[in-house]
Amino acid sequence: MDRIPALHRRIKEIGKTDSENGRIVSFTTIHNPPAGFGSVPYAVALIELMSGKKVLAQLTHEGLTPAIGAEVTPRLRKIRTMGNGLKVNDFKYEVVSASTEPVFNIRAYVLALTGPSGVGKTTITRSLLSLFSSLVEQVPMYATHKRKKGDLEPVVLVSEEEFDAKVKSGEIVAHTVLSDRSDYRAGYRKKDIDAIWKRHRLPVVNTDIRLLDGLAKSVGREAILSCGLLPPGKSKRRMLSALLHRLRSRGLDTEQQILDQLKAAEAHLDAFDSHSHLFDHLLINDELNECVESIKEIVTPVK
Amino acid sequence: MLETVYVLGGGQTRFGELWDYSLTDLIREALDQAIGNTKILPTDIDTVVIGNMLGGETAEQAHLGTLVSGLLPHHPPALRVEAACASGGLAVHTACALLESGKAETILVVGAEKLTDVSGDFVSRALMHAADAEKDAPSGLTFPGIFALTAAAYMHEYGITRENLSLVSESSHRAAVKNPYAQFRKEIPANVISKSPLVADPLRLLDCSPISDGASAVVLSTRKESPVRIAASSLASDSLSLTDRSSITSFESTREAMNRALKESGLDRNVIDYIELHDCFSIATLIHLEDLGYADAGESIRLFLDRDTEANGSLPINSSGGLKACGHPIGATGVKQVLDCFKQLTGQAPSQVKNAKRALAHNLGGVGATCTIHLLEAL
Repeated sequence: MDRIPALHRRIKEIGKTDSENGRIVSFTTIHNPPAGFGSVPYAVALIELMSGKKVLAQLTHEGLTPAIGAEVTPRLRKIRTMGNGLKVNDFKYEVVSASTEPVFNIRAYVLALTGPSGVGKTTITRSLLSLFSSLVEQVPMYATHKRKKGDLEPVVLVSEEEFDAKVKSGEIVAHTVLSDRSDYRAGYRKKDIDAIWKRHRLPVVNTDIRLLDGLAKSVGREAILSCGLLPPGKSKRRMLSALLHRLRSRGLDTEQQILDQLKAAEAHLDAFDSHSHLFDHLLINDELNECVESIKEIVTPVK
Repeated sequence: MLETVYVLGGGQTRFGELWDYSLTDLIREALDQAIGNTKILPTDIDTVVIGNMLGGETAEQAHLGTLVSGLLPHHPPALRVEAACASGGLAVHTACALLESGKAETILVVGAEKLTDVSGDFVSRALMHAADAEKDAPSGLTFPGIFALTAAAYMHEYGITRENLSLVSESSHRAAVKNPYAQFRKEIPANVISKSPLVADPLRLLDCSPISDGASAVVLSTRKESPVRIAASSLASDSLSLTDRSSITSFESTREAMNRALKESGLDRNVIDYIELHDCFSIATLIHLEDLGYADAGESIRLFLDRDTEANGSLPINSSGGLKACGHPIGATGVKQVLDCFKQLTGQAPSQVKNAKRALAHNLGGVGATCTIHLLEAL
């Protein structure tokens, strides 16, 4: 770390790195620094950047109190002084949004439905809403763009500036850049979820894996009853072919869009394994009624 | 296992701040103990494997295989292996592979580390060599810091308390009282642990295994028989950096090593009578028990609240005191764990688990970047 060529490589890398905001996954304060880092305690956080990449970095002393789920922004700061007096600068991150403390208590929870495009999330949600209209309510999604023509999801459209402001103020508790469109941001407002609970109903989010991960981190994993939806089929290949069939018969997308969605779906199916900690139940959406019935069994009314 | 690998026994030095001992002194004592206890002739040893992490950094000594070989009259072929804190487990695993292949018939496996000749901040920095030098170390993170990140995330996710965490270290210290080789033979109540100085919050001094000197050795053989055999030896790796993991509250390497070990031995996890667990930090203990399949995610603290992990409980772990109270001389730990499992299976343990027939040694390198698991079975 004190080797000049290694520093040279790091400086080059910093020059190439886009400065990105991120979210604190976890953080600590180092009270016994290793050799070369002085003797004053400092905070280090594991941060998930907007792009999904994770970094380990110090937090600045300015800014708000750090918390898991809080929003951070990079600043170039002195990180240490080497034995020969050379000062080393690197990215530190400043906490810029109000901390998102776990706001939901465990008795009240959110029902999350996650699955690849075409698996039938929207259909299941609508079916749940019409069958149990006095019990279930969908959480509106805040987004910067309408996803596509004919999309039936309830979306509140806001400008990018407005979206960022809401994230900064802590109004939006989980948000993500959707993987296929870099300018497409989406998230949920805490206020909407709270309001549904006040009406003694169960909030439903129809979500993707990154948004689910964000939600779990900001509200606590235990506040989410999480169902992953799989297309029918015994192998991954068969599941994907079932999706292809559904996406084509839906007639909403061009062939290229369908192929892109299929690629995303494949990653999604893999994510059920790699992110298994995010799911309580995996359901196969073969027969709509059966699937709705299993969700009904899983869900118990909010007390 | 392709061959029956017998554990003939072994020996160790006391673990602790041993200022009178050099790295070579430590190795010599463990070697003498091992040869004395197993009653083999030194010349029966046809190969030496040593696990060590920081010989070069903290003792200015590399080339350790030959160093051990030179302590034997006939200079058998020797090699050193390294996988950070799993160096000891890797040494046993390497020895098993050599024995199974027929390249060797009787191997002296040594684990050794000398850490207290240098200052604490030097050791802190050297231990960070176990993490990613480009992604982890430049932030000024330490190893307690890395596990503090997992602890903070775990506590956030599952809602366990500071007092809960302290129960884990308390039980290690209670166990170590009877172990003559342990660094800390003193009971420490949970409320004292909760008030010990902060190292990297939420982790406090008494959540962390200490900086220790020590060496341990076991003799494994396919030629000489003994009442204990190795039923499985597994090794698994994960990404080096925490930044490349999808979860930081579970270690995939432990899960994978456990699955392989169960498959290799044909045993079920419920027939294991005793576990030596890599409790480098209190939080690690909780995560490991879940990854090994003995508790659901977020639930392992139950085992401590119910005192199931005591020597007379339903899932005895670390009756030796574990890394926390027996001490953690990095490379020595994995070998010492196998030795303590052997003692349990032969009725020689200071805190003996009644009728222990099968034991598991779980050794971890880095923040779950390497894991070795050894299953030992009494014949």
